[in-house]
Parts: sequence; structure tokens; C-alpha cells
Amino acid sequence: MYDFTYHRPDTLDEAVKIFSDADDPQFMAGGQTIIPVMKQRLAMPSDVIDLGKIGELQGISIVGDTLTIGAMTSHAEVASSADVKKAVPALAQLANDIGDPAVRNRGSIGGSIANNDPAADYPAALVALGATIHTTSREIAAEDFFTGLFETALDEGEIIAKIAIPVPDKAAYMKFPQPASRFALVGVFVAKSGDQVCVAVTGAGPCVFRATDFEKALEKNFSADALDGISISSEELSTDIHASAQYRASLVTTLARRAVENAA
Amino acid sequence: MEKYGIGQPVRRKEDVRFLTGTGTYVDDITDEALAHAVVLRSPHAHAKILSIDTSEAESMPGVLGIITGKDWAAEDFQFIPTKSAVAKKIDGTPLNQPPRHCFAIERARYVGEPVAMIVAETREQAQDAAEVIDVDYEELPAVTDLRKTIETGAPQIWDDIEGNLCLDFELGDKEATDKAFADADHVVSLDLVNNRVTATPIETRGAVATYDADTDSYKLQNATQNVHANRATFADVLKIPADSIHHVAPDVGGGFGAKNSSYPEPPILLYAAKKLGRPIKWINDRNEGFQSDTHGRAQFSTVELALDKDGKFLGLRTKTIGDIGAYCWTIGPFTPTGGSARTQGGAYFIPAMYYSSVAVFTNTMPTDPYRGAGRPEASYQIERIIQHAATTLGFDPIELRRKNLMPEDSLPRKTPMGLDVDCGNFPEVFERTLKMTDREGYASRVEESQKKGLRRGFSIAAYLECTGGAPKEFAGISFGKDGSATLRVGSHSTGMGHETSKAQILAHTLGINFDKVDFIQADTKATPIGGGHGGSRNLEVGGNAVLKAAKEVLEKAKVLAAHLLNSNADDMNFADGTFTDVKTEQTISMDEVIAASFEKGRLPEGMEPGCMDTESIFEREIISCPNGSHAAEVEVDPETGMVHVQHYWVIDDFGPIINPMLADGQVMGGVAQGLGQALMEEIVYDEESGQLVTGSLMDYALPRADSMPHMELGYYEDAPTAKNPLGVKGAGEAGCCGAPPAIVNAVLDALKEDGVTHIDMPLTPEKVWRAISEAAK
Repeated sequence: MYDFTYHRPDTLDEAVKIFSDADDPQFMAGGQTIIPVMKQRLAMPSDVIDLGKIGELQGISIVGDTLTIGAMTSHAEVASSADVKKAVPALAQLANDIGDPAVRNRGSIGGSIANNDPAADYPAALVALGATIHTTSREIAAEDFFTGLFETALDEGEIIAKIAIPVPDKAAYMKFPQPASRFALVGVFVAKSGDQVCVAVTGAGPCVFRATDFEKALEKNFSADALDGISISSEELSTDIHASAQYRASLVTTLARRAVENAA
Repeated sequence: MEKYGIGQPVRRKEDVRFLTGTGTYVDDITDEALAHAVVLRSPHAHAKILSIDTSEAESMPGVLGIITGKDWAAEDFQFIPTKSAVAKKIDGTPLNQPPRHCFAIERARYVGEPVAMIVAETREQAQDAAEVIDVDYEELPAVTDLRKTIETGAPQIWDDIEGNLCLDFELGDKEATDKAFADADHVVSLDLVNNRVTATPIETRGAVATYDADTDSYKLQNATQNVHANRATFADVLKIPADSIHHVAPDVGGGFGAKNSSYPEPPILLYAAKKLGRPIKWINDRNEGFQSDTHGRAQFSTVELALDKDGKFLGLRTKTIGDIGAYCWTIGPFTPTGGSARTQGGAYFIPAMYYSSVAVFTNTMPTDPYRGAGRPEASYQIERIIQHAATTLGFDPIELRRKNLMPEDSLPRKTPMGLDVDCGNFPEVFERTLKMTDREGYASRVEESQKKGLRRGFSIAAYLECTGGAPKEFAGISFGKDGSATLRVGSHSTGMGHETSKAQILAHTLGINFDKVDFIQADTKATPIGGGHGGSRNLEVGGNAVLKAAKEVLEKAKVLAAHLLNSNADDMNFADGTFTDVKTEQTISMDEVIAASFEKGRLPEGMEPGCMDTESIFEREIISCPNGSHAAEVEVDPETGMVHVQHYWVIDDFGPIINPMLADGQVMGGVAQGLGQALMEEIVYDEESGQLVTGSLMDYALPRADSMPHMELGYYEDAPTAKNPLGVKGAGEAGCCGAPPAIVNAVLDALKEDGVTHIDMPLTPEKVWRAISEAAK
């Protein structure tokens, strides 16, 4: 790790100001990515701005049909929240299966989506659920938020404040872990709200994407059998030592079927 | 007393400090005077080092010194020699041994090879300096595949070693084996990969080196599992007397063979400590560990089995290519040659066997013994070819094994590989294991799995292995006036529980207080010799050394007891910690005798105060043959290829069990590593660039608690070996001999109706999925 200046502001305004005054600043949420990366000397920010003390970024609430989760809410809090378990049990389950207890207690939903790791779980959930990401300056639909490999729509200095999630009729997340890291080799989140079905896939490609053919079939008939004979092309999918694109494509179908069977 | 005696599941003494965070590992050694070293490693698999410019780095804040290969060569230090027990080719000429210097001097030959060592006031300063060292490399073509490296036209790793060949090897009767194959009704053949893996001990390697100018002597505190042998090697390298190095291992967090090896960093540290006049600490990080800890296995074999029409085995022929990496490491060339040959054929009666192999160089981190070192490979080969014979020839796999296990009355027997199998009851152990597995309930479990869309499979594997490691061991016992005893041993626990098992032997033999036994190991000043750890040798050699020393104490104590009771030593009976005169029924306890041994006035002529202190060396004459059977039941998800081992059963014959809790730990840990190799672990190098792809735990998969099945373990203790006084056979490596074939064969059993007959380890989900898809075509 290289030397850097550490800040721990109390308010969002203060965080934004420190950011704009610094040479090469880096916001830190739970630190579950940035700290290992800094320890390996792969990142060398001049200033690290820890968002952990900012009250505005905390908390889970449910108002009407909208579940709102503060950006700094930890995976463990999402996993154990009675509100989340009741409104979107699939989301609580997803959070409960991230990493290990240390990661779940430190890592946050805002940090995860800002990083947009191609194998992270939350992007699939937020896209499938049609969530809205509220930042210090605007509101962004989840589908527009995740733009590419480790890329998001966030501007320089923009901070995620909270995530608003419309409560679906039913949903499920199926994750097939990469054997070493236990990140999603492929993860499929299926959400049904009224006549609308959304299927979002993480892990399989460079960025979360929707399986629109699956959605159309499921909107006609929300059952696993509706996916018979439908597959996604492996052309745009990732290949690495753990899985070929072809295998990932096969997993997408398998996991989508299982998600439909398990939707609740 | 028997609460702590031999055979009792005594809780580990050392766990108090390990579990409360009060152990002392190398990185726990802190001292303000310590300087810190970082190793700059080659980023290339094969490259000429044209120049190294350290000028900018030397002027960086806190930098104390930088040592490069050129500096090393200028000192004319020796290279680290291989100590492979097989050191000659078939034609009798010596193996091809390139010089393994502590640094890459003119050419780097694997990713991770040391190029420079930087010493600074802090680790961060050393890292900063390492980043600005300018090494001018000229990249060369690299070869990392063990089959490609011996093809014509492959990049040549050593200019003077043709064809990247270290040595060739053969064992057994080729003619008789060829005849067995010619006369056979059936011949089956299988190509098998034994995947390259690494030990990943929880504690990475590291050391602290100190030099004392007044006495011109060194202290090396090192995360090793072999202080004496490595001290001798390091002293030879540096051309200094071995006794000028005090080599100590503090608590060590796992070794598995990888910490037995002689690595380049400790001698460089010793040199740097003297040159710079500072004690220096170096700690390898996890990513460096993947590059620079020795790897294991890395073999490709063609195995052939000849059978008669009834399925009786007639002959076994194995041809292996063993990848030893870029250099001959500590005993690297031995593993694919002698190490893999000895236990060919396993627990089965095979009249004719022939093993041949080559050890080859590649642009990879060298291989050296990893838990089992050749015996897991042999065990995998025989059990896979048996399963293959059963599948392809239509024999019942259990019956085929049953028919061919060495019968009890065939022992003692020298196998065609020259292994002296003295005792055991392989059929009985096999049947007992099978009995545990609830075969009656199997059909309904298969049905349950099918209901979930899963396949279920079962396999049993018999294994026979052998011990190894240094044949001699030291034990010293000294007593305190307060009834305490201090045990000094040359064997070495890297977390296995020797402090407990050795104290049990001592307490059991002498009737002294288990809790008052102090334990010293892994210290060249504390013991005159020491074999460290390797080859499941702890109880077989180290335990017998303790027993031998304790018996010598007992003999002396008997004389003193008789003197104190005014009796004859011949009339003394010793039981439960008390001497009894069989004639007068007078008694005296061992504790009283030891207390008296410090009082000059109470001693007979010829005995001096402190006379109970005893030092002894035990020497093993013949290695023993641990054996047993493993059985696994697995579930396979055909849609994803995911394998779950559902249930696991083992019966081992390790001779008498000193502490069943520790033995269980050894078996479970060995099975975990075997399961890892079978299903997920693999070191992968990129074929084009020679880069290490599995360079971190993000890509090198290790089994976790949820990977492990429920395990039922048992011991067959009715066949103690006469090869050593304790009758023990070594427990440490058995688990990873049995697990890979049991698990792989169970998966293939689950997929037999899909038409899948072979998948190479590791059986990753994609490989299993692909095998099913391809068999369906």
C-alpha cells in the first residue's frame, strides 16, 4: 500500500467538498474491493474518503410499494432486515450469499454497485427489479446505471445516496459460484411484477445484461417450461479458466429455469 | 495416568496457544532493529537478463542494500544441490542437474524466480525501491506443458541439457510384464493427468535472519519443516560451517512438504544480514507464494492393466512424464521416478509390474514433495485403471477389487516394485469399510437423488502407501526436581499435534505427569540431529525415538528404585507409574525416584545427580506400509456439472493409534486436500506466455468447510508392524492417497449411464458438464 490521506466526513456535502479539493481522491464505502486493490499497489489514490460515518447513507425503509436502502447499508443488514425479507426475500437471500461474514459486515450495496464488478450479485437484482439509484445529483434507472466492465453512469465526484426498489410480485436469484472466489460465475435474477417479467444476468459477460428472449417467453407463461428451447448466444459472454462462454450460456438457461421455479 | 496414555483421544496441548492467538509464528517476531526484505521476482517465464540498474532504487528513502544475481555470482556461492535419492539415469550416468543458484543470474526460467532482494528500513520502502529497479529482459520462448517440452523443437530451457530431460527411470521386470500382457485375455489402458497443485499453507513462508559479528555466527528463524537438513544446505551454499548457523523454526502454520524444500530466500537473508549488519525479516505474501512455493504432482501417465478372463490381474505397466519445473529442486526428480514407482499396484496382488518414467524441465516453478509425493499418484493410477477395467470389460467394480486384493496369507510379501509389505489385512479393511457405507440403503438414495434431477454415484478405493523421510531421529528427555520433564525432539510438528502425542508416549511409558511435559522441537541447538517432517515419519521415527529414550530412562529408574528400596533391580515391577518389589511388595513412585535422582546422597555408586536425563537416537530400518480403504458417495448435477461429495467413509490401518483425535485430524485433512485435487485445485500456466494464471486465491480454488462431506472414520489396529517398536505405520499422507480415486471413480459411477468413462482431474463443473454433453452426442 502506498501512503494516502484518510478522511471520514460526517455529511455528503463535506465528502463532495473533500473530493473536489483533492488531487486523486477515492471514495471508500465498505472497502472490500479498494483495500485489497490498494494493498496490492494496483491503486494509489492521494486521498481516501470513507463514507462510513455519513448518516444520510444509512438505513432501510419501506413506504408503500417501494423498498429504500441507504447506499452504506451492509450486506449483513440487507440479509437480516425484516423489511427486505418480507418485501423482496430474494434480495435478502442474495445479500446473505455474498462473500463471507467479514465481507458481509463491511461491504455495502452502494459500494458494490459503484464498483460494478462483472461478477457482483447486486447489479442483477437492481436491473431485474427496476430499481432507481439516487445520487447526490440525480436519479438513474438501474438499467442505465451499469454501463460496462467496472463502469457506471456515475460522474466524477458523484455519490450514491440510496437505492429505491419497487416491490415485485415475486422474484428469485440463482447464483452458480466460481469455485475459487465464490463470486458469481453466473447469476440470474428473475422478477415478476404484474405482466412484466425481467431477467437480469450477472457474471456471464463484462456487465450485467437482460435476457430479453427469456422475458418475452416468461411474460406469456411464467413457468420454467416456457424457457424450453430458448438459450442465449455465447458470443458476447466471457471465457476464462473457470468457464467458457458456451458453458456460461448453458448456466444462464439452467439458472433462469431454477429462478422461475423458486420465485417467491 | 491412562487418561493421557497411548490410545487416548487427548486434546491438543498446543491448541491453547494456537486458538487464543498466542502462538509465535515468524511474522510475530518484531524488533525495532529489524530491517525488511522484499524479493523482486521475474515477471517472465523465460528471459535473458541483459542488465539490472539499481541506482535509482539504492537512493530511495530507507533503502539499506540491494542484492542481485550479479552480486551473488561475484561471491562465488554454491548452487543449491538436489538430494534426490534417484540420481542416475537408466544408463547409469548422473541426472542432468542445472545449477540452481539463489538468484536468476543471466537468465530467468520461471515466473517468480528471484532476481533481486531489496532490504530497507520498512517493507513499504523495500517495495517502493523494488518498483524502480530497472531490469532489462530479453524474452525467450517458454514451454510450460510437460508433454510439449520433450517434443522436437520445444524451447530449450538449459543450453547444455538436450530435450529438457532431467533423467529417465525404470523399475520392475519389463520382460515378465510384457509377457503377462501378451498372455492376457484383457488389456485396458488409460491416460491420466495428475494435476499440478500447491500446498497453500495458512502461514506463508518467511524468515528472520540475524548475524552476530562477535562470534561470526548466524541465527535463522524460519518457517521451515526441516531445520537440520536445510541448515546444512544453506551453510554449503554460503561456504560457512553448518554450526555457525543456529536454525530455529518457531510455530509453523502448515507445511505439507512445501516447507521441507530448500528455498533460495533464507541463504540470501543470511548473507544480507551479515553484509548489512542488520537483522532482516522477509515474509512472502500469498500471491508470491503461488509463484515461489514448490508445487506438487504434475504428472501425465499411461497406465495399462492386464487381466485374465475372470478378472484376475496379471500385469501392470505405467509410463509417466513428471514435470519437475525449471530446476531440480530439493528432491524434485525423485517424486516422478522412485517416489511414484514404489507403491505401484497399491493393495492389489499383481504378479508382474513395470514402471518407467522421465522427469522433464519446463518454464514453471519446480515441483517437490507435496503430501504423499508419488504415492497419491500411484494410488490414483491403479484405482482408476481398475474402475476403467470394470466399466469397459463389464466386471462389478467392487467384486473386481475384492478378487484382486493381496490376501492376508500372501504377507509378508515383496512386491514386484521391491516394497516390503509385511503385514495388514487388506480384504478385512475393505469389507469393514464397505459395511459402513450402508449398501442396502444405496438404491433408495439413488432414487432420492434422481427425484431432485441429480445423479448419484459410489466408489470404494483401497490404498497402500509407504512412509519416508529421514530414517534417524533424536529424542532427549531431561527432568526437573519438581517432577517436570522436558522433551527435545528432532522431528517437527507444523501443526499436527506432536506436543501432545509425544507427551502421551512419555507419560504412558514413564507414568509421569502429562501436563508437566515441556516440548522443544525444530532447533539445531536443542538437538544434535533432526529429520524434521516428511514422509509421515513423525510417530514411526520420532515417536519411536521418544519411546526408546523413555525406555532407557525406565531402565535407569529401575536401578535407582531398587537401590532406594534396598531391593534387586530384577525384582522391580513397573506399572501405573509405580515400582513394586515383587518380593517385599514395597513400592516407590517414578516421581519419587526422579526426585531422588537429584540428591547425591541417595544415589548408588555410578549414578550422578541428573542421571535420569537421557538422549537417544532411533533409526528406522525399513519403511512401513500404511493402508486402508476409502469410500465416497457423490451427487452430480448434470445441468451444471457440479459435484457434491455427500458421504465419506475410511478405515485405515496405521498400526496402533496413539491418539485417535489426532489421527482423525490427519485423515480428514488429507481427504480435504485429496478432494481439493480431485475436484477443484489446479495450478495453471498460460501456454503461450508462461504466465501463472492461478496466482491468487481468487483463481486457485481450495475446498472450504461446505465442500466437505460427512465423514465416518475407523481404524484397523490388529496388524501392528514389527518394523518398529510402537508398531505404527504413519498416518499423515494416507488421506490424500485414497481421496482422489475414491471421489473421481464415484463421479464416473454416477455418470456411467450417461456414457462418461473418464474425466481428468480436477473435475470442475465445466469439465463434468462438457463430458456429459459430449457423451450424449
